[in-house]
Amino acid sequence: MSNESEIIEIPPDRLQRIIQGLSYATVDKFAACLDLLRTGGQKDDDFGELEMAFTVFVEELSSAKTALKDTLNKHEQANRELEMKLQMIEMQQAAIRDLSTPIIEVWAGVLCLPVVGLVDSQRSAEMTETLLEMIVAKQARTAIVDITGIDVMDTKTADHFIKMAKAVRLLGSECILSGINPSIAQTLTHIGVDLTGIRTMRNLRDALQAHLRDTEQLGAARAGRNARKPEIAE
Amino acid sequence: MPLPESEAPARSERAERAYPVSRREDALVIGREAQRLGLLFGLAKKRAGELAIVVSELASNIAKYGVRGEIALSFDPDGEGDVRVSARDVGPPFRDLELAKTDGCDDRGPIDPAGIIGRGGLGTGLGAVLRLADHFECRQDEAGKEITVLFHREPVSKRRRT
Repeated sequence: MSNESEIIEIPPDRLQRIIQGLSYATVDKFAACLDLLRTGGQKDDDFGELEMAFTVFVEELSSAKTALKDTLNKHEQANRELEMKLQMIEMQQAAIRDLSTPIIEVWAGVLCLPVVGLVDSQRSAEMTETLLEMIVAKQARTAIVDITGIDVMDTKTADHFIKMAKAVRLLGSECILSGINPSIAQTLTHIGVDLTGIRTMRNLRDALQAHLRDTEQLGAARAGRNARKPEIAE
Repeated sequence: MPLPESEAPARSERAERAYPVSRREDALVIGREAQRLGLLFGLAKKRAGELAIVVSELASNIAKYGVRGEIALSFDPDGEGDVRVSARDVGPPFRDLELAKTDGCDDRGPIDPAGIIGRGGLGTGLGAVLRLADHFECRQDEAGKEITVLFHREPVSKRRRT
């Protein structure tokens, strides 16, 4: 290395190469920059050291930039995937919402609400709303609420189910509760709910049969009236 | 959200598990998860169902009033075999906590029965939590609130008899 006081000569073409190289590097054209720097070959003088150092620096910068771009791409990819997953969650949530009050018209005029999973106060309120709306919309004569799938209910929620059944009757339809398990039965009697006018059946099958019996009786009674026969259905 | 089956709470049961809540549907999902973990923890079937209701009620309150928050569950936090449920949110504090605890009320007062339609709830959520869980605690300020309950292993009905 030369003394500080010493003056070194720089050929203008080499200086020009450095300047040109810098401007290439500035605009991310590392390949062009390195090509340019390498055309000069390696000179064993003071300025040659600077050229060498600059070349190494550009090489490092170039690989660092490439790695950064790779990482950014990966991030972008991950972000896209995450967004898709969020969208999926969104759809699943909508599905859960729909499934939380699955009302099926099993027959003309017969609605069935099979309650499964977890019933909290909000869900029971939502169920009541949806069921009452559906009864009016479908002009259902019978609504069967099957709670076979429910083991546990808070007392107030159980009470609300009974109120739901009463509200259905007020609409002029019949509500059959089926599949009440011992624990919920105990809850209901324990809180002293008025069960008059509430029709309960052991299971969904019995409930459907009860509906069919009623319909037959009604049909028979009508047929009887039409034929002017005083036949009374049992 | 559901954890892999292999991850039984027995392994790290004291560690708190937190689940973010921002929507109504989260409540049912987290409730079911709590039930599953409760069963793994060794709660009786009925008691695990009650845990699910407590968690779900607290979570739906977060979704309804708390803007966003989380439900944190820890199993056997102090070696007594309990489950601790914490519900934290960034929503406004209760105007009147005692009113909010009353069935058929929110924190402003009684809910008009006609207003239940479309309201998405009966106003009995906190009541249910109080009935089914133990040691209700609520800390709140302008920045948010935290409700913590301890959930004893044995059912409420059995305890009252003794």
